[in-house]
Amino acid sequence: MFGEFLRFAGQNILHRRLRSWLTVIGVFIGITAVVALISIGLGLERTVNEEIKGVFGDTEFVIVDEDAFGQGHSTGEVDQYAVDLEYLLSVDGVRTAAVVATRNGFALGPVQADGSQQAAFPVVTGLSSALVTEFASFIGELDLANGRGFEEGEVYVAILGSRMAEKLGASVGDTFVIGGDLDAEYEFQLVGILAMPDDDSENESSGFSFGGTVDRDGLYVPFEAMSLLWPNDNSVQVTLVAVNEGEDVNAIADEVEEELNDRGSSVTAITYQDISDVVGTMTDAIFAFLAGIAGISLLVGAVGVMNTMFTSVLERTKEIGVMKSVGAKNAHVWAIFLIESGLIGLVGGLVGTVAGLALDVVGSLIISSVTSVTLAIVISPTLIALTLLFSFLLGAVAGLWPAWRASRLPVVDALRYE
Amino acid sequence: MALLEVQGVTKEYQLGKTIVRALRGLDLEIEQGEAVAIMGPSGSGKSTLMHILGALDRPTDGRAAVDGTDIRTLREPQLVALRGQRIGFVFQTFNLIQTLTALRNVELPMIFQGVRRAQRHERARRLLERVGLGDRVRHKPNELSGGERQRVAIARALANDPEIILADEPTGNLDTETGESILSLLKDLNANEGKTIILVTHDPDAAAIADRIVRLRDGRVVSTADRERRA
Repeated sequence: MFGEFLRFAGQNILHRRLRSWLTVIGVFIGITAVVALISIGLGLERTVNEEIKGVFGDTEFVIVDEDAFGQGHSTGEVDQYAVDLEYLLSVDGVRTAAVVATRNGFALGPVQADGSQQAAFPVVTGLSSALVTEFASFIGELDLANGRGFEEGEVYVAILGSRMAEKLGASVGDTFVIGGDLDAEYEFQLVGILAMPDDDSENESSGFSFGGTVDRDGLYVPFEAMSLLWPNDNSVQVTLVAVNEGEDVNAIADEVEEELNDRGSSVTAITYQDISDVVGTMTDAIFAFLAGIAGISLLVGAVGVMNTMFTSVLERTKEIGVMKSVGAKNAHVWAIFLIESGLIGLVGGLVGTVAGLALDVVGSLIISSVTSVTLAIVISPTLIALTLLFSFLLGAVAGLWPAWRASRLPVVDALRYE
Repeated sequence: MALLEVQGVTKEYQLGKTIVRALRGLDLEIEQGEAVAIMGPSGSGKSTLMHILGALDRPTDGRAAVDGTDIRTLREPQLVALRGQRIGFVFQTFNLIQTLTALRNVELPMIFQGVRRAQRHERARRLLERVGLGDRVRHKPNELSGGERQRVAIARALANDPEIILADEPTGNLDTETGESILSLLKDLNANEGKTIILVTHDPDAAAIADRIVRLRDGRVVSTADRERRA
């Protein structure tokens, strides 16, 4: 019987073609907006997740001061904390770890031809050698204008930012002095100078880009040199940890975080999952808000369906009387009108879904072409299925009242209706 | 026991602030297989009586029984079943559903009774052939003449093989010749298939096919006259 009622509904919709299409348009505009916004939102979320995953992978996590994550830090200054690398490397499942530490130091350039020496107070950044070999995705390529990077086992070597090299009058191969805590002063060989950034702006980092304060005035030494220069300070800015393939990175991150906090450091261990969750929450909130606004147009569409169905009930009053006189139950009449309004919603949903997805593709391509981000195009079968179900229900719910009115019409009155 | 039995039936309508008394203590019995014409001037209560006989409406007071069962005691689903299975209606204005073909219009009562597709298809086709429209099954009402539409309506009335056919001015919108062919179809259903025919009409020619003519005035039966069956 349902099949027959579906046929009735289809025939009635086709019979009042113009009005049906106008009603469908009311639904389809809302559905288009919702589908397009949600799809673009899903695409954005996937793009961001892939970017994060590209940096973190499934096996790495970062330890930073607990205020540095999720508190909206934007100054670029990150509090340092004490870390015990030996402990970290001893944790079950941890493959390797690397740290970045920064301190304010003193540098004295090589002796110049005229016998003078230039002094400077650069920020000294200590980098684990594993940072370059194991965590290249975090720090980017080492972009050197001259010389080379650090090699395994080296301690008394340094890399300078281009302007710092100029300030100290140092060239690759020169020896110069770095001063740390109290009387700690050691000679270092300059092995590389960072390339000038393309952009001439003051804050642009050159080459190394991790840790926030790296710039052309920087001075970089192997992390091992830091404990010589500052023997009483074991604080670091960032620790990167890689676990063995197949290990549960989240569980290890939690374990390490707890242990370090027990030892008195206020740190937080961030995995891919943590960042993804934060980003997900943000994008979800933004797109739920936008989809909510688009939902208002769906409400307007639903009122349109209701209006059309009331008109239809009125026009077909006599037809309802005839159906009842030949044996239609109230439930039959109700079902016929409900299926009809649901069908209007469903057609609106179908057209709207196709248009929404098309808008998603076009919108994503436009965003990708005007920004440097290549936005993923996500066509979610779940979204499509839910949208179609929702649009049918929207139509059906909008038709509930008119259909109920139709089913309750007294048969004699309906037959007399002209 | 009479097939249809009406005793002391009254029917009142509220029309704005006035109460219209359409039937005022009407008595009537109709036997199985009878052909009865109900005549009377406008406002005499003919249509109201037909609605009550057809279980489309309940009386305000009095007893209206089909096969001994008072329709006032029946709940809505039972009334619907009664209409769907035992009574067929033919209306003056045909009342076909414009969006459906002749075949589907005839199938309609069977759809509501849950008859299987193949079976109702076959039966609808046979009924349309029976009323002489075997070649018009795919036509929609607006592609048919008035007489053809009324034939489709008669085929529809026969869909669930009811015992009773209630025809309200079935020739009212037709020319004389077409009207006669419709009347002879109804007469044939009565004479050869044993259907009980109740004909509400103004037209004495139409009433002539009946065994009995019941005249109404002001909501009451004023006379009943038996006629000789025409050959």
